[in-house]
Amino acid sequence: MLTIKGLEVRYGAITAVRGVDLEIRKGEIVALLGANGAGKSTIARSIAGLLPFQGEIAFEGERLTPGTAEKNLRRGIALVPEGRGILARMTVHENLLMGIYTRSDKSAAMADVDKMLERFPILGKRRDGLASLLSGGEQQMLAIGRALLSKPKLLLLDEPSLGLAPLMTASLFSMIAQFRDEGLTVLLVEQKARQTLKIVDRAYLLETGRVVTSGSAEALINDPTLSEAFLGGTH
Amino acid sequence: MLIQQLVNGLTLGAVYTLLALSFSLVMGILGILNLAIAELFMIGGYLGFTLITAGFPLPVAVLGGMLGAAAIAIAIEKIGYQPLRDAPLVTPMLSTLGFSIILQNVATNIWGSDPAQLPDEYFGKQYALGPINIGEMQLIVLVATVVLVAVVAYIVQKTPMGRALRAVAENREVARILGVSADRLTMLAFILSGSLAGVAGVLIALHYGTITPYLGVEIGLKAIAVMVIGGTRQIWGALVAGPLIGIAEVLTVAYGGSQVRDFVVYGFMILILLLRPQGLLGGARSDQGQRV
Repeated sequence: MLTIKGLEVRYGAITAVRGVDLEIRKGEIVALLGANGAGKSTIARSIAGLLPFQGEIAFEGERLTPGTAEKNLRRGIALVPEGRGILARMTVHENLLMGIYTRSDKSAAMADVDKMLERFPILGKRRDGLASLLSGGEQQMLAIGRALLSKPKLLLLDEPSLGLAPLMTASLFSMIAQFRDEGLTVLLVEQKARQTLKIVDRAYLLETGRVVTSGSAEALINDPTLSEAFLGGTH
Repeated sequence: MLIQQLVNGLTLGAVYTLLALSFSLVMGILGILNLAIAELFMIGGYLGFTLITAGFPLPVAVLGGMLGAAAIAIAIEKIGYQPLRDAPLVTPMLSTLGFSIILQNVATNIWGSDPAQLPDEYFGKQYALGPINIGEMQLIVLVATVVLVAVVAYIVQKTPMGRALRAVAENREVARILGVSADRLTMLAFILSGSLAGVAGVLIALHYGTITPYLGVEIGLKAIAVMVIGGTRQIWGALVAGPLIGIAEVLTVAYGGSQVRDFVVYGFMILILLLRPQGLLGGARSDQGQRV
């Protein structure tokens, strides 16, 4: 579904991503793991079309042009950005309505908004309240719900657990795992490596902008050499 | 009489509201002050004036002023803003200042620098409502302002386009990942803003019955003060601040003399900047985006 070859992204004189090759197959949940500054978010933002890049990103066989975020959403790539990206001055309902902005099947889309409010009852209760008044976990639900409403083929989740309490993180990860059953393809950018590897199919480990290793979640979690260095010990 | 002065103040405030709303639409979305809006207002006024004196009915004059100003707004966005959008905020603002001076020059060359006068037969009717005398054009200004503000409010609050405009205003990057073409919406903001300025220009020119190429500077600066007082990042601040400043100005002239009129308006603006820089309706300061 998504193929990346020789991706390179620079912020001025700093090279954030160097020669990354990556592949995501349809229906997979794939993780990008690594410490702060490893280049994970930069890769996700490049795929979403927010950053200029060199190299090749192809989605469903079509080569993506850098900086075309609006078009990429229409192609089926939705990003839930780091920090959630909710529109704080809009209501919960208005945020969800922004999720269907590009959809042409308006009556079906409106019905999907109502379904989303039922799927996340807490959002339903706060439908007409300002999104800024939601808790961190609720805001994350809103951001994910809004992204799902665009009916993406590929969902990019950039550090969704950042700033969430452990219980909320666990519930978020179980929700992400369910996306597999819904046939959605997911690229999950995370720092919580051990928890992430429990729900993903494959993962890429990044360090200073390069992929240092990749493989199935099972292989990575059982690799003793990786355990200490990247996964935070054996627990 | 106080009540008569209040009505006069409301009329003036209505025009300030329209023009301040015009400034706010661009300011709220792009964070830049489009100084050429004042001259779009003046050009709109001249176009309306010309159409009325050529015998066209008022709706045609309003439409002419609106379309003319909107067309120039498109040119300003294409030439004066788009190529400079990644430059520091002051650069596109200076570019709009350049447009403003050029437009004033163009108006002087076309219509001359002497005031153009509307013959008395146009919109001279007066209606007596109890103790208040209200002119035909004054009534039109008030009704048109209410209608236009309601239309803008509906577009901004209730339509997908309006939500997209607000999304771009709040977070351009998030708007883009939601599929909003920020460039298209920026152009739309310029067109809406220019149209409003054009209509306001027609209304005030016909209400005063006179126009000069310098009308934009005088009223435009007051509208900027109204926008600041209402809150530069809050489109709706102008709804409160416009009538407030209109009434304050008229009452100051009536009871204190015209020599202190501007002192009151701009003094209030400075006071707001010092004590409540987010404006009357601006909410908490942490809610604010880029500042002017």
